[in-house]
Amino acid sequence: MAEFLIGLGLPGWLAWSIAALVSAVLLLNVIAGGALVFIWAERKIAARIQDRLGPTRTGGRFGWLQSLADGIKLLAKEDLMPEGADGLLFRLAPYVSFCASFCAFIALPFAFDVVGQRLNVAVFFVVAVLGLEVFGVILAGYASASKWSLFGAMREAAQVVSYEVPLGMCVVVPVMLAGTMDLVTIGEKQAGWMSNWYLFHDPFTFVIFWVYVTCAVASVNRAPFDLAEAESELVAGFHTEYSGLRWSFFFMAEYGSMFLVSALAAVLFLGGWNGPVPVAQLVGLSEGTGDSAAYFVRLLGLGNLIAKATLGVLLMMWIRWTLPRLRIDQVMTTCLKYCTPIAAVMFAGAMFWQLFLPGGLLPGWSRPAGEIREGWLEGPGGLPAAHPTTSGHNVGVAATDPSDSSGLATRSPR
Amino acid sequence: MEAILPVLLFVAIAAAVSVGLVVGSSLIGPNKRTNRVKEMPYESGMDPVHDTRRRFDVRFHLVAITFLVFDVELLFLYPWAVASRSAAGVDAAVSQGLVSGRGLVFAGAMAFIALVVVGFAYDWRKGVFRWR
Repeated sequence: MAEFLIGLGLPGWLAWSIAALVSAVLLLNVIAGGALVFIWAERKIAARIQDRLGPTRTGGRFGWLQSLADGIKLLAKEDLMPEGADGLLFRLAPYVSFCASFCAFIALPFAFDVVGQRLNVAVFFVVAVLGLEVFGVILAGYASASKWSLFGAMREAAQVVSYEVPLGMCVVVPVMLAGTMDLVTIGEKQAGWMSNWYLFHDPFTFVIFWVYVTCAVASVNRAPFDLAEAESELVAGFHTEYSGLRWSFFFMAEYGSMFLVSALAAVLFLGGWNGPVPVAQLVGLSEGTGDSAAYFVRLLGLGNLIAKATLGVLLMMWIRWTLPRLRIDQVMTTCLKYCTPIAAVMFAGAMFWQLFLPGGLLPGWSRPAGEIREGWLEGPGGLPAAHPTTSGHNVGVAATDPSDSSGLATRSPR
Repeated sequence: MEAILPVLLFVAIAAAVSVGLVVGSSLIGPNKRTNRVKEMPYESGMDPVHDTRRRFDVRFHLVAITFLVFDVELLFLYPWAVASRSAAGVDAAVSQGLVSGRGLVFAGAMAFIALVVVGFAYDWRKGVFRWR
């Protein structure tokens, strides 16, 4: 995009700004639209799980316009601030939460090269910026001058701060396997059949994926870890005193973060935008070439990633309406005494596997290490693109390679 | 710089959009008619008993310190994770069948983890992770 504008003769900074503006507006729509859809979905799913109907009328059938109606209602609501609250911090807090959740989307790739801004430290950026969201919650709780809010904020602080550690340890494993922090490259390295996903790289990554899921649910404050809100004990937790649109910002941030951690799980462990079967590669299309076919493949990948992330969000909703809330000491024990040691052991195991068993337990099953990897990375034309659909290193081709009649060649090394 | 500029722009756009929405909401929203009871912090219908700004639980302090230590240590794993695949020549070592390069990388990370585990075990023994 920016290169195209520079080609039109615009100065560099203007081109970059316009490109960033366009992607920012797109991402804002993803978050706002996503929040509307997910809130509606959550209400319907919650209702069905509890044997109710949920919203049924707004928008004709299924109440599908319910969230939009709620949004308009919130827009027209009074914006209250309790007496004794710290005015500046109270007003600032929702912005902090929302901006942090939004900015983490910048580095998230939705398909090959479909990313707000490709950063070479994307993994780091996403995790770090997402961690800033907790500041909004702490500010809100502290500034509200309400005891419920303060309790919620303190719990949130302790909880999120603790879960950052196992979360970071889970995230470092795909980084280690891919050897890069660039999310686009990490997704790219999992191209091919489903067995190439880092989830199935070795037993340790399979376990650590579930540790990641636990920590991700905790770090975005979803039940059973929603101690900060805990409506049955803390009224509404940190947002007890909020009303109107400021209140809704916390929810936009929450649903945005839910989508983000799910999408991050998809990119890091579930093959990103690569489907379980490399359909496009099998029919000979590549996403890295830059012609119209490539854009079609990227669109396909976009659908793939959004489907996977949505599944993740639905899983969180299912968990929320199934499990009872933990106590704060149970939450901390889960994190510090279970998640962290398990994550550390799994990290060591994955490291061992990666370094000493790169071809799997039975080396005869797979191709020599590095063959496929190198083929992907040093594609012609410099782009780290090009699934070498024609080079024969492609796993899709390898699966039908007549010289390997065992049919097990699909389990290729990464 | 060209990678940072859009990021800053994103932050500005997010802030502008959220502030704009709140301003718009206050324009179309109802006029503020408040009174003392309405502005009172919610305390289950009672008058607030005393000031909210009180001392924090020290336990939060301990958890925060533990986090600081572990998270900063974790930060050092990321450069290792990136370098273990390229700069340390692991790929080359794998292709040439040299185990020593990989062994070195593995031993380095394990030594690091061992140091962290010592701290972790100390915290555990000291009861930092016990919430009560």
